[in-house]
Amino acid sequence: MTRHEASPYATVMGDGQLTGRPTVYPGAGPYGGDLEVPEPLVTGGKTWADVDQDICMHAERFPTKRWWLAFSVALGFLGVLVFALITLFYAGMGIVGVNQPVSWGSFIINFVFWIGIGHAGTLISAVLFLFRQQWRTGINRAAEAMTLFAVACAGIFPIIHLGRPWFAYWLVPYPNARGPLWVNFNSALAWDIFAISTYGLVSLTFWYVGLLPDLATVRDRATHPWRKKLYNAMSFSWTGSHRAWRHYESAYMILAALATPLVFSVHTIVSFDFATSVMPGWHTTIFPPYFVIGAIFSGFAMVITLMTFMRGYFGMTHYITLNHMEAMAKILMFTGMMVGFAYSTEFFMAWYSGSEWEGFVFKNRAFGPYGWAYAIMFTCNAIVPQLFWFKAMRRNTWALFAVSILVNIGMWFERYVIVVTSLHRDFLPSSWGMYALTAWDYAILAGSFGLFFTLFLLFVRVLPVVAISEVKGVMDPKVARSNPSRAAAAAIQEA
Amino acid sequence: MMPTSTRGVLGHFYEPDDALAAAAKVRDAGWKHFDFLTPFPIHGMEDAMGQKKSWIPYATAVLALCGILFAQGLQNYVMVWDWPMNFGGKPHAAWPAFIPITFEAMVFWAALGSAIIAIIAGKKDTIPQPPPLLVKTGATVDKFVLWISATDPKWDAARAEAFVRSLGADGVTLVDVAPRPGSPFGGRSGRGEPGRTAGRIEQGHTDEGGADA
Repeated sequence: MTRHEASPYATVMGDGQLTGRPTVYPGAGPYGGDLEVPEPLVTGGKTWADVDQDICMHAERFPTKRWWLAFSVALGFLGVLVFALITLFYAGMGIVGVNQPVSWGSFIINFVFWIGIGHAGTLISAVLFLFRQQWRTGINRAAEAMTLFAVACAGIFPIIHLGRPWFAYWLVPYPNARGPLWVNFNSALAWDIFAISTYGLVSLTFWYVGLLPDLATVRDRATHPWRKKLYNAMSFSWTGSHRAWRHYESAYMILAALATPLVFSVHTIVSFDFATSVMPGWHTTIFPPYFVIGAIFSGFAMVITLMTFMRGYFGMTHYITLNHMEAMAKILMFTGMMVGFAYSTEFFMAWYSGSEWEGFVFKNRAFGPYGWAYAIMFTCNAIVPQLFWFKAMRRNTWALFAVSILVNIGMWFERYVIVVTSLHRDFLPSSWGMYALTAWDYAILAGSFGLFFTLFLLFVRVLPVVAISEVKGVMDPKVARSNPSRAAAAAIQEA
Repeated sequence: MMPTSTRGVLGHFYEPDDALAAAAKVRDAGWKHFDFLTPFPIHGMEDAMGQKKSWIPYATAVLALCGILFAQGLQNYVMVWDWPMNFGGKPHAAWPAFIPITFEAMVFWAALGSAIIAIIAGKKDTIPQPPPLLVKTGATVDKFVLWISATDPKWDAARAEAFVRSLGADGVTLVDVAPRPGSPFGGRSGRGEPGRTAGRIEQGHTDEGGADA
């Protein structure tokens, strides 16, 4: 039997040859039905050895000029964050926009925004894993890294929102000399501490477990003995043993099964911060699903933004193909419609409840002084993604990139609308007020992006940005295997 | 640390299906201390190698229960016993309010514990492995490597090597790395049978005895 028989996968060399549709062989399937062969997830006729080279290469050579350029911009914004935070700690909360009646401002908005961004990473790594969506293999490593860095950004905001961040450790329940004075476990804010810290640590674990085999690949490619030893220690001397794989696969499945309800619980608990209060516009049962779906929506937008860079900057088009981008566009449109549906449901419920306050808040939200923010939110989140009904748009990288940026803006404004409009006009018209971000609010927001991109750019320099072992598992062995006769022929030619 | 075997025999295959077929043959031939080193997990390899299913899920269940007990214990201790407070006449043991933290603690214990136990199990619940810093197997790149450790009760170097060759493996090599005194890994070759490859091993690509033959 010949081992090098032609595979239909071998001929797909790039995005240009992908259609996003399976090849149909009429009558060739089981029971006389049609056989649909999906397009390959990796293009370019890559072998398993090519995968190592293409992905590890970026961490093995001196950084390119473009990387330095991007890194210095990101580092500049990180500097802005550090400067703004030092000023905030020195001068106090008076320099930012929060005051009565809007006592929750940009810090809470940014916190919910960044936590939401993180959710898509877990969705891709855990939920799509359980649903056996094999296209996730190309993007899950970078998406999980995005989760970790987004959670790191989010974690800053509740702490600085405290006003006296040096007492942040009081949020942790531990036996102490203050009574002991415990946190109130009936409070949604105490639940938040547990939810966010669990989410951060479980995401880190999931990401690291996924990295183990790839760290061994980097180790085996390393030439410098220290680099070899470092990556060997980081991979816990991974050999690829099937006796280890069997426990590894079991644990990975369990982590996915645990991370799936976790990702839903985290944004549910974040929404409890609002929903357990008695403010009109916040005190609604729709908040948990509304927040979770909004989080996944915004996170997918950020994944599309990052993957566009990965394709362009790092030339990952063979691993993150147009088919991957199209699949993400579909999820973006689907979640966008769910978010739009939630916006409409809120209005219906405000009217149907018969509550005067609820009705006023929603009229004020859409047509009051912050109507412009509502318009940005609704346009970017519910209307713009409708573009993806058209296949040509789903497969157009520029359209994808533009929509992903607009959705990120729209989702930031969604949190702005939720936080600000419910607070600025409450029950007593005499205490109504307006809210505006100050320059320091903007500096901290911009700086958090600096932190995010600094961490992401460091990540692409030291770790494999695509899950190598998972990508290898979804490749066609007929194409990807090492070919000893070809290698021998090349050796003879060289000699 | 991982038990490393200084002695054993290696041979590689090029495709997962070949590795599966070979694993079943090794199992049926009665070898116990053998392993397949692969770049990615192969579906059905547990059966082919005659292994039981992983016991990690049981550890997860126990850890999840510990997490639940920890969270329930902490919250009830604080809210009912150590610092009971009256919030509008509501009961101290407000169990619905304890659910979110109980859930998070369950996930935290189960996830972190399972990951740590799986990593340790991958080192302990195994056979001696070829030391990864000394022996280049190619298993992290594109080879599906059969490894028979010298700790196997049936071990006999010549017979093991002949057996691996008979399976159609390529690059069959007898590994014999002597550890340097005071170092976890060797780096100095020796103690090998004369004429055998020993120490640092580089495998060439040859068609001799390959899966294609």
